[in-house]
Amino acid sequence: MACELKEKERAGVINPIFTCQPCGAQYASIGIRDCIGVVHGGQGCVMFVRLLFSQHFKESFELASSSVHEDGAVFGALNRVEEAVDVLLMRYPHVKVIPIITTCCTEVIGDDVDGVVRKLNEGLLKEKYADREVYLIPIHTPSFKGSMVSGYDVAVKDFVSYFAKKDQPNGKLNLITGWANPGDVTALKHLLAEMGVDATVLFEIESFDSPLMPEGNHVSHGSTTIEDLTGTANALGTIALNRYEGGQAAGYLESEFGVPAIIGPTPIGIRNTDTFLRNVQKLTGRPIPESLVRERGIAIDALTDFTHMFLADKKVAIYGSADLVVGLAEFCLDLEMKPVLLLLGDDNKAYPDDPRIKALQENVAFDMEVVMNADLWELENRIKNQGLKLDLILGHSKGRFTSIDYNIPMVRAGFPTYDRAGHYRYPVVGYAGAIWLGETIANTLFADMEYKKNKEWVLNVW
Amino acid sequence: MPYHLFKCSECIPERKKHAVIKGHGETLADALPLGYLNTIPGTISERGCAYCGAKHVIGTPMKDVIHMSHGPVGCTYDTWQTKRYISDNDNFQLKYTYATDMKEKHIVFGAEKLLKQNIIEAFRAFPNIKRMTIYQTCASALIGDDINAVAQEVMEEMPGVDIFVCNSPGFGGPSQSGGHHKINIAWIKQKVGTVEPKITSDYVINYVGEYNIQGDQEVMLDYFKRMGIQVLSSFTGNGSYDDLRAMHRAHLNVLECARSAEYICNELRVKYGTPRLDIDGFGFEPLAASLRKVGLFFGIEDRAQAIIAEETARWKPELDWYKERLKGKKVCLWPGGSKLWHWAHAIHEEMGVEVVSVYTKFGHQGDMEKGISRCEEGALAIDDPNELEGLEAMEMLKPDIIFTGKRPGEVAKKIRVPYLNAHAYHNGPWKGFEGWVRFARDIYNAIYSPLHQLSYLDISKDEIPTDKGFLTQRMLSDANLSEEIVSSSNLREYTGKYDIISDLRGKTYPDFPAPKQLSAV
Repeated sequence: MACELKEKERAGVINPIFTCQPCGAQYASIGIRDCIGVVHGGQGCVMFVRLLFSQHFKESFELASSSVHEDGAVFGALNRVEEAVDVLLMRYPHVKVIPIITTCCTEVIGDDVDGVVRKLNEGLLKEKYADREVYLIPIHTPSFKGSMVSGYDVAVKDFVSYFAKKDQPNGKLNLITGWANPGDVTALKHLLAEMGVDATVLFEIESFDSPLMPEGNHVSHGSTTIEDLTGTANALGTIALNRYEGGQAAGYLESEFGVPAIIGPTPIGIRNTDTFLRNVQKLTGRPIPESLVRERGIAIDALTDFTHMFLADKKVAIYGSADLVVGLAEFCLDLEMKPVLLLLGDDNKAYPDDPRIKALQENVAFDMEVVMNADLWELENRIKNQGLKLDLILGHSKGRFTSIDYNIPMVRAGFPTYDRAGHYRYPVVGYAGAIWLGETIANTLFADMEYKKNKEWVLNVW
Repeated sequence: MPYHLFKCSECIPERKKHAVIKGHGETLADALPLGYLNTIPGTISERGCAYCGAKHVIGTPMKDVIHMSHGPVGCTYDTWQTKRYISDNDNFQLKYTYATDMKEKHIVFGAEKLLKQNIIEAFRAFPNIKRMTIYQTCASALIGDDINAVAQEVMEEMPGVDIFVCNSPGFGGPSQSGGHHKINIAWIKQKVGTVEPKITSDYVINYVGEYNIQGDQEVMLDYFKRMGIQVLSSFTGNGSYDDLRAMHRAHLNVLECARSAEYICNELRVKYGTPRLDIDGFGFEPLAASLRKVGLFFGIEDRAQAIIAEETARWKPELDWYKERLKGKKVCLWPGGSKLWHWAHAIHEEMGVEVVSVYTKFGHQGDMEKGISRCEEGALAIDDPNELEGLEAMEMLKPDIIFTGKRPGEVAKKIRVPYLNAHAYHNGPWKGFEGWVRFARDIYNAIYSPLHQLSYLDISKDEIPTDKGFLTQRMLSDANLSEEIVSSSNLREYTGKYDIISDLRGKTYPDFPAPKQLSAV
């Protein structure tokens, strides 16, 4: 009876948990104002990622392709990058930042993206766009390394290291949110506002949830500015909420500019949110105000209403990115649930050294498996062929058929969530996230009791 | 001049020949845009890749197959759960997808061993599935893995399994269309003729270029079965791998989407002499003509006619109810390829809407030729559109609705143009007589959405009407209709169910008397 950390034994992937690195770089790039990324590769690498974003947010985001065709694959396709940059700059006069995001295709053929950026800087940008502020940033995200999560991490670091510049201290806190939803950013900014902390949020993506206005066209886009990125070098400190989604950038700012970094924990649940506030306090010296004591009290009150009666001992499987999965698992434990299976969707070699995973290994007394480099077949196969009994699944929409086919209630969490309305608007972090997650889990279990007529009468007097 | 250069594309003048406005008295020779040329980088084109054209469009609808992509995980992930091609085996092909998960070491040292391991693992995980398609990706193509050799090796070691290999890397051609071609040709070369089917009728067809979006194939299958026709295979929606290996035994290839699947029909004609008959399951008239043509080919027009009469009587009053309310509404018909010519004239004639623009992401000039000829004068036709051109066109044309993909639909939404999903449909199926009414109903519900009307109101400037707590679609659509139409007892709203496919799956069909034997043995 213990927590066991293992790797998926099969070589291949049946129903992947993640897509590949370029998607992560694209997700980071849409968070920056006046930025349109050029993905250097086949057109599908952009078209499908844009589709994925639009499925999750019900919005369209701008990303361009260098449209590599056969000739480029054979003879090299750097000319396609040059043309893409020029065409993009001509047609989108507001664009200032163009990350050149590589893919498996262009990494395998060995296109020198850094070289072509130098060439463009010396040539095209000087000759044709001399009066214009333009930044070309090579981002190497070969699809055969890591996952969309590491691609995001790489891109955040590349953006920060490209722009960060030492100047006068700005008194701000850097908050690197990781792969978050607009609802998360709102919740985090609320906590910081209550603390009276001025922060640079990477990335400001609340505006992904853009309005339908009577006039004009509102393209969904993030609003982090170049100045925001530049100023990260002059902050009081950096908090990267997620170890694997922005942690590198925090480390870079610390080693390069002496900006103290605190990496993690992902502030999911009451306890991790407490730690987050403590860390904010530590870096800024600001006290935790009474208003947050009260807010926390409301959250605990809300969760207490159903936790030990309805959630205790419920068996849960959780899949997705490691920071999210571990954060959710920790919260589930506080809610007296049993997260019996955690699936981490890529082969990051750092997982065994993650102190949160070590803590699970040291302290969990029931049977729990943490599977690295996992796919969704690790979940389904256990249910279908190995007798795993679950009360709940937590994960993103790609696992929906496991829930449907085996009649296991599921709460959507993570990216992408396209089969539920408006989930991006709700947080999983902070006290607000704790309330939303806890109540959504409870209500999902209630609906399942009613649907299956499984002691549905219990709720008569709750 | 028929060519139309968008303002946003003045800086890339080569775009000029990709858009035309169908002018008065102009022929197709004046007004045909260029098509299927390499994409201009950085335009934010809507095109996909040749891998997705092969795997996602044509390969994956095959229902009893393990669909494995040999490459990094992304190609597989990205083309999984983004379409609505269902099947009658509990959607196996929608639920499961397989990637060999190629990593850096495989790029350096090759991934053939990895591939073999993957194939064996996948068959082990799904012991009841004995068929597999392996799709090459950019990465596996560039490192030169010999997928065919690995597949052959496994087939020798695992008798009972059969593997199809599709070599169509993402960079192969200007768009997904390159992949359509490659998988068509690969299938006939590798697989057709390797299974002998049981022939149960004198009238045997392959139903080709049909992907069972929301059940389209099953609707059409119902008509064919009611005519006593044996549908040997469906290429590929709801299609079975082994049935498709027997395509050579059909008497006729009945082709829907000529853009994506005419290649295999043409090859079947060359190799086996099977004639090709292009049909059209969208629209009462085109569908009726199609069923008549198929009937005519076999000498069973009466059976076709009986179905047409029955279905028309049942559904025409409902179609006409919507037609009265959709008359004159402006439509941008912006699908991927073939729907621009499948739909352009049919929606105009049968639903009364005006097609003000057609576009195609991956169509060829032939598709434009058909599409433009079926449009009214003044229509704007765009090849390989991009984001800014689409916006400019919508600003210029002020459509009431747009039929396009999921993501471009979100672009339209933001300028207050409602959209219907042309690829995956809203409440499909849209093929068949009832399906066509469902399409009309979806258009109606989108255009006459009370919520949509609210999006035009600027509460900071406009006078806010305070006299209504609600509006209904009827209050909007019937405001200017004559009393005769509003109270007509000949017309009615759609009366079908939410799911019309499940019932078809349990349906039984009459036996037709055995045809006369020509010679006794």
